[in-house]
Amino acid sequence: MNHKIKLLLLLSFLWTVPAVAQAQGVKNPAPLTAMDIVKKANHMSYYQGKDGRATVGMRIIDSQGRTRIRQFVILRKDEGKTDGEQKFYVYFTRPADVKKMVFMVIKHIGRDDDRWLYLPALDLVKRIAASDQRTSFVGSNFFYEDVSGRDINADSHKIVSQNKNYYVIENKPKDPNSVEFASYKSWIHKATFLPLKVEYYDAKGKVLRRYAALKVAMVAGYPTVISSVMENLQTGGKTLMSYSEVKYNIGLPDNIFTERYLRKVPRKYLR
Amino acid sequence: MIHISNAAIKRPKLFFWISGLLSAVLITLVVLPSLWPTYFPMLNALRVDTDPENMLSPNEPVRLYHDAQKKVFSLHDMIVVGVVNKSNPQGVFNKKSLADIYALTKFAKNIQWKNKQGKTEGVVSVDVMAPSTVDNMEPGGPGVVKFEWLMRTPPKTDAEALSIRKKAQNIPLLNGTVVSADGKAIALYIPITDKNISYNVAQKLKAKIAGFAKNGDRYYITGLPVAQDTFGVEMFVQMAVSAPMAMLLIFLLMWYFFKKASLVISPMIVALISVIFTMGLLIVTGYPVHIMSSMIPIFIMPIAVLDAIHILSDFYDRYPVFKDRKKTIKHVMKSLSAPMFYTTLTTAVGFASLALTPIPPVETFGLFVSIGVMMAWLLTVTLIPAYIMLMPESKFANFGMCESAGNDHGPMVRILNATGRLTYSGAKMIMIIVIILAGVAWYGITKIVVNDNPVKWFAPGHEIRIADRELNKRFAGTYMAYLVLKDGQKTVSLTTYAQKLKADMLSQPLAPLKEMAPQVDSLRALSKSRKQMINLLSEKIEQRMKTVSDQDWDSWDSSLTWIGDYLAKDQIFKDPKVLNYMSRLQAYLQTTGLVGKSNSLADVVKTVHRELLMGNEKDYTIPNSRAAVAETLITFQNSHRPQDLWHFVTPNYRKTNLWLQLKSGDNRDMSALISKVNQYFRDNPPPDNLSHKWFGLTYINVIWQDKMVSGMARAFAGSFITVLIMMIILFRSISWGILAMIPLTFTIGMIYGIIGLIGKDYDMPVAVLSSLSLGLAVDYAIHFLARGREMRKKFSNWQETSVAMFSEPARAITRNVIVIGVGFMPLLMAPLTPYKTVGVFISSILILAGVATLTILPALMRIFEGLLFKKENQKDVT
Repeated sequence: MNHKIKLLLLLSFLWTVPAVAQAQGVKNPAPLTAMDIVKKANHMSYYQGKDGRATVGMRIIDSQGRTRIRQFVILRKDEGKTDGEQKFYVYFTRPADVKKMVFMVIKHIGRDDDRWLYLPALDLVKRIAASDQRTSFVGSNFFYEDVSGRDINADSHKIVSQNKNYYVIENKPKDPNSVEFASYKSWIHKATFLPLKVEYYDAKGKVLRRYAALKVAMVAGYPTVISSVMENLQTGGKTLMSYSEVKYNIGLPDNIFTERYLRKVPRKYLR
Repeated sequence: MIHISNAAIKRPKLFFWISGLLSAVLITLVVLPSLWPTYFPMLNALRVDTDPENMLSPNEPVRLYHDAQKKVFSLHDMIVVGVVNKSNPQGVFNKKSLADIYALTKFAKNIQWKNKQGKTEGVVSVDVMAPSTVDNMEPGGPGVVKFEWLMRTPPKTDAEALSIRKKAQNIPLLNGTVVSADGKAIALYIPITDKNISYNVAQKLKAKIAGFAKNGDRYYITGLPVAQDTFGVEMFVQMAVSAPMAMLLIFLLMWYFFKKASLVISPMIVALISVIFTMGLLIVTGYPVHIMSSMIPIFIMPIAVLDAIHILSDFYDRYPVFKDRKKTIKHVMKSLSAPMFYTTLTTAVGFASLALTPIPPVETFGLFVSIGVMMAWLLTVTLIPAYIMLMPESKFANFGMCESAGNDHGPMVRILNATGRLTYSGAKMIMIIVIILAGVAWYGITKIVVNDNPVKWFAPGHEIRIADRELNKRFAGTYMAYLVLKDGQKTVSLTTYAQKLKADMLSQPLAPLKEMAPQVDSLRALSKSRKQMINLLSEKIEQRMKTVSDQDWDSWDSSLTWIGDYLAKDQIFKDPKVLNYMSRLQAYLQTTGLVGKSNSLADVVKTVHRELLMGNEKDYTIPNSRAAVAETLITFQNSHRPQDLWHFVTPNYRKTNLWLQLKSGDNRDMSALISKVNQYFRDNPPPDNLSHKWFGLTYINVIWQDKMVSGMARAFAGSFITVLIMMIILFRSISWGILAMIPLTFTIGMIYGIIGLIGKDYDMPVAVLSSLSLGLAVDYAIHFLARGREMRKKFSNWQETSVAMFSEPARAITRNVIVIGVGFMPLLMAPLTPYKTVGVFISSILILAGVATLTILPALMRIFEGLLFKKENQKDVT
């Protein structure tokens, strides 16, 4: 199925969603700035509910069609401020040989995130210091930054076009040396403010990577992308990501997101 | 045969018209589709093939395997760019050089274009290995591991440049590969979509490099693909220069011998038309012009004039007797037509025997030279007489060897006469010398080393050779070979596997496994593979886990893990014992002195393991459990280049690839490595019955060389026997037949003896020369023996015959030797070694064959006069 058809299907579904955003649009006729849109999109992608959990399955498919799988439970909790700091706890269940591996992130705004990795067989807890956040997330075509969210202040944003359904935002990095792309465009759904497609370009305008939301569902009143794909057009590989058992506002305690819990699994929240 | 010559003498113009017309047709047939391929799709355009890989047929198993493995491990042919700075004490690890290297890398990553079919060609940017495209991993303080680009941006200070060097040298995959062992140089590995574009890419890189400000940096571009592609380009430059040069030299020599420019133009026409016919036919029938077939013109030309020289030489010597061009040429053609036909046939057979080699370009070469030789003969016996007939009689005034001065005039005549006398009086002495030389030659032949290396096809001063030396001196090696290791265990059927799984589940202490075991049979029926069956089982367990109590959950979770691990046992390259075996093999490879460096999955695991711990050398080991190995591998995949892992192992971890960097591309060294690795596997039986298999261009070269050596031996034996039989038929005598073979046997023996003695490698051109020299070298013997036997009828004994033989017949042979011998000389000026080799050896073979014919044959005829001329002697008696 090509992307256009997928997007159309998605759209037809989304029109049936009584989106909060749509109602807001009516109340406030003043045109949104690019930054307004990006902020909303950022919120919809990463900050819905105070906390949440999901079981995530990844199928990493290379250019030859060879598939590898990853499965993990992801727990998220937001800090007090709106769309600010967040905590993630990622517990791996598959493949079997990396089961119990944990990846934990304290996401900061305006400075580097804190990241920990727990490797049970090596019996190691490691803090990860990375020069940038655009490294592969456990070998998939998603970057670490795609999973935790890119700082909206790292790029300058511009509305390049819009139609009935989308805002098309062009984003250019403020520090071009820190990233592998020259710019990226996001197609942000007007009704839900979910980015349904994102394309990353090199300096010549060639597409390097392409993200697409494949399926959106209403979970506890939140429009949630439950299936998506990230393609790497340079290697020809892609990763399909699917969410199941998604829950919001489950009341995750703070202490789960500490080094102590890397070795001691918070089974209650992972089940 | 004489009839066609007579026909040509009668209607000279017609023959010229026909040949001219045929040439024009062939040229049109080649030019039309080559210039306007879209209008003439039914015609074959000129196709150039510069790929030495095509020395083997495309469906040769070794090539199929090579192509398949390249795909499996996502490997591409690589251009290697080395940057060396000898003037800066920090080498290239300074601000300016690294900034240039950074810029060059960025430039290289963007070399892409669309080809005629609309496919993107150029550099495979994701796989470029350069300081700015690879990752560094190191401990970042207590409990911290750091991941970063090795050189995200060019350094701001020279001190920063040095820290980049330090980091790179600490990563085994980079040390010796991207950064040189002495820390002064950097190599960039630039993979390309197809090796046939490497020359093009290299040119673009050179243009970019030319724009850098000078600071003592030297850039060297090498790698087998560049060498091969550059060879192809230079090959055509080469042919455009040396073929006309050869033609000019031959013309000048003939002019010197026959004093009449207008007359010696005729063999030139014959040669030209022969080349046009042969090459035209080659292209029209759809064969590509390959390294071998590009040499066809240079072979055809001298051979084409061979017969013409015999005719002209005889004509020149006899014209003063008849003083009539028609009578003279008729006489000449009568005495020469049989030997000329036979010499042509033998030459053709010599070349045609190359069709017995299993190497397509050599087959094509042999076949078409053979066709060309026959064509040249046909043209010679018709056009030369026709040409002479078209010249007015008046032009021949004062033409020819003056009979009165003929006997003691000119150095050639004097030397030949003296030689003739010597062969009679010193026959035994000559034979003793021949036997001694043959002994020496035999010793030399036993010393022959079979070896080739496409990079050495360039002269030592060529930039590719210089780059090759400079880079292999500093880095682990620019020649790549790959060793694939694979699970050697027999595949068990799914049913057997399921039975074993069920039994294993029942024997486990975990209660959930015992509970689930009976379901295995029904799941097996639903599955096509182990993976599918285990996944279904895992799903069943996961379903159950949703409802089990918290107390039971842990044992269910452990059971799920157990099932997952059960399947993972198939992933043998996560097994520490297998990885340790690979490490030991690599350590052994390093001791052979043949491998500059080997890179493998084991190195990846060990490096990550070391850096996850405190970066201490003692932790540069394979961790001791499968899960711990898996954790290092998933950690590696958190990098900027997770796909690098799949160059070393397949995602199912059942096949691995060791990347070997060799400092030498000599087939001899690769062969030695192959046998050492075989020996290692015999002496150290691998776990899980691992099997090993090679691929890579360096390996392919060894395979085609092996095929060529055995193929050439077959071709040589085949043509030797065929020519011997032809000689026996021609002379209607076994002893004369054997006699005809003696000079060429001696010549070939001597040539190969010399190759062995001087230590010249027995390589592609040398191998090809064996069969073709056979066909050429026998020519002189045929002429000498045919004329000798004919002349013996006129004289009463060999002594008198010998004197006559060393006048006109010997002069024809000598002129031939000189013209052809010198005709190949322009090849010596070639910058490409194979052409040089061909030039040197063809010239030496012809000269030696000429000398051998003019010494050994008369000496033997003197010694065995009674046996050879039994009939004549009897006649004399009666």
